[in-house]
Amino acid sequence: MVKKSKFIIGLTGNPNVGKSTLFNALTGARQHVGNWPGKTVEKKEGSFDFKDRKIKIVDLPGSYSLTAYTEEEAITSDFILEEKPNIIIQIIDAQNLVRNLFMTIQLMELGKPLVIALNMVDLLEKKGTSIDVKKLSRLLDIPIVVINARNQEGITKLMEVAIKTSKRRRKSNIKLSYGVETNDELQKIQEFLKTKEKISTCRMNWLSLKLLEDDLRIRQELTKKAYYFELKEQLQKSINHLQSIYNKDINIILTDARYGFIKGLEKEIISKKTADKKRSFTERFDNIAMNRFLGIPLFFVVMFFVFQLTFKISAPIIEWIEKFFSIFSETISTFLMHWGVSEWLISLLVDAVIGGVGGVLAFVPLLGVLFLLIALMEDIGYMSRVAYIMDKFMHKIGLHGKAFIPLILGFGCNVPGIMATRILESKRDRLLTILISPFISCGARLPVYALFVGVFFVDYQGWIIFSIYMLGIIMAVIVGFMFKKFIFKKLSSPFVIELPPYRMPTIKGVIIHVWEKIWSFIRKAGTVILLFSVIIWALASFPIGVEYASSESLIGTIGQTVSPIFRPLGFDNWQSSVALLFGFVAKEVIVGTFGTLYGVTDAESDVGVSLNDALQNDFSPLSAYVFMVFVLLYVPCVAVLAIVKKETNSWKWPLFLASYTTIIAWVVAFVVYQGGRFLGFV
Amino acid sequence: MKSVAEFKKGETVKITCVKCGRNFSRRISELGLFDGSEIEIIKNDNFCPVIIKIFDSQIALGQGEARKIYGEKI
Repeated sequence: MVKKSKFIIGLTGNPNVGKSTLFNALTGARQHVGNWPGKTVEKKEGSFDFKDRKIKIVDLPGSYSLTAYTEEEAITSDFILEEKPNIIIQIIDAQNLVRNLFMTIQLMELGKPLVIALNMVDLLEKKGTSIDVKKLSRLLDIPIVVINARNQEGITKLMEVAIKTSKRRRKSNIKLSYGVETNDELQKIQEFLKTKEKISTCRMNWLSLKLLEDDLRIRQELTKKAYYFELKEQLQKSINHLQSIYNKDINIILTDARYGFIKGLEKEIISKKTADKKRSFTERFDNIAMNRFLGIPLFFVVMFFVFQLTFKISAPIIEWIEKFFSIFSETISTFLMHWGVSEWLISLLVDAVIGGVGGVLAFVPLLGVLFLLIALMEDIGYMSRVAYIMDKFMHKIGLHGKAFIPLILGFGCNVPGIMATRILESKRDRLLTILISPFISCGARLPVYALFVGVFFVDYQGWIIFSIYMLGIIMAVIVGFMFKKFIFKKLSSPFVIELPPYRMPTIKGVIIHVWEKIWSFIRKAGTVILLFSVIIWALASFPIGVEYASSESLIGTIGQTVSPIFRPLGFDNWQSSVALLFGFVAKEVIVGTFGTLYGVTDAESDVGVSLNDALQNDFSPLSAYVFMVFVLLYVPCVAVLAIVKKETNSWKWPLFLASYTTIIAWVVAFVVYQGGRFLGFV
Repeated sequence: MKSVAEFKKGETVKITCVKCGRNFSRRISELGLFDGSEIEIIKNDNFCPVIIKIFDSQIALGQGEARKIYGEKI
């Protein structure tokens, strides 16, 4: 049988209601993450088969409301109105019914087929509260399916109901009353529009409401119309009239009316059996996690364990992978030699391809564990607590607590960190956060530190790396403070954040999340890094006849020209200058470059060991530490600059970012090296 | 009438007046915080943001913002 045409579902819901859990449960690994066209908001799509249908599901950005004050917030309603999904599924947290239903009301106003997936009913019942789902469904005139996104209960039923509802093109017939006065004004706007254009009743209802609400997107749409000025006059009259009656902002009037309706519903369907007096785990833990004095130390302890754990778990796996690659390249080269393949080709394959990429892939376990732990912290709900305790502190650098979340994500990779600045409302906050976030040491820099601590600081690995991370944070704070003082003088935007109860993370969600990150890293290693490994190899092999990667090779010449700049920092060997130049592509390339440059000087020895020896020749512990400091602070990688360009919409900021970070890197590295020498370190 | 920042843990407050900017007022109104709504103070140490309970969820509100929202104890 031929598969029926694609069925499109728009999945929406408030933050923290289990939306991603449901999305992951439905699509598994078949997801695609991109951007909404022309916007800086992540778009997640997935597909799956249900019975004989191919279903595409689009994860719509989570928010509390559909009213668009910014471009980003218009996405959900844009998608629903323009791409016309067959059905919209709103996932609702039963424990937080009233607030979730606020969005339901707005979805109903859109007048498209809607199904509600009611999640976490079991948790509500555990608290001694019961909910009359049938009655709620009847009162709203919307099908409701009780699900448990976590263990995938009710999902088949949800799909069946969704398909059935869409087939009948059934929409709710409930029309909300916004109060006599407001209804009158809505009527007036509708009558005005009727004289100008033919519009369906359903769209008319919605349009008049949005116009009254001062919806950014609708306003823009209608400015093109000839009757816009007349319409504006009518709107202003209506708004003034209502605001003078209620003595409130027009939006508050409408919000009030919607919440009024919902509270009425709540009384009908919720019955509290017992008043729960027992203090929940969340409450007890929050007493510590959010304590004014204990919160921040606890956070540092958590972060310290995160890094310790990262190394403890990944070290044996890394060793295993390194061994595999060294045996692999040895086998390949003897095998090829046996077959009479020319020497330069073997060198290309073994030194550039296997050496470069393998050296970087060896760090995948390290990144994997770090990403996993950060994803767990996010899923458990600890991140928003961190934003809370950091609020006061972040105010000192002109930001608020929420800006701390993108910075934390930056520990994984600065690119998603910078993308996460979208959770901040004001442009100023976003820009300031973007500018300081490259100081947060990303996962790609970790392989570099790991390489150096492995050679120079075997006994203090955790501490040394912890100190580098701390230095990054301190620099971000200092620079943020300077920027606040001299560039961004305006006040920071208000701080509001929801604190969801702690919960067990879903293994599947965390694994999908980590896999996505790891996979993008591997792809990067496979493409950009492979490309640059080959370029480095070529630069190291030419002009023809020079010894591989010797100082006479092209790359040696470049390195020697640049290296005097780094003499005051203690590492003036040309290999490290070259590595730093290539590190601009991606910081982890630095490791690959060292691998290639020092690479197989001695064919008999193990690659890893010879790199160790070579590094020990060219660096002292102090200059190794300074090199790590420089890698931490200097120009962010190409991907970061590209994303900054995209997010700020100009070349000005990425260029500024690139130059100021490099200057700071040099100065700080200089101070550390000279200071270290003064204190007697070598 | 006191600002939300002046109430103590455990007190239930009926909001009477929100003196924030228009956009911010709208945003918090969608969370359920507007004149006439009732909230409970979950935590206020006069240092970190104030935690309030609106409906069934906990929202943290910066001290600066909390000072601009007024209400009466019920």
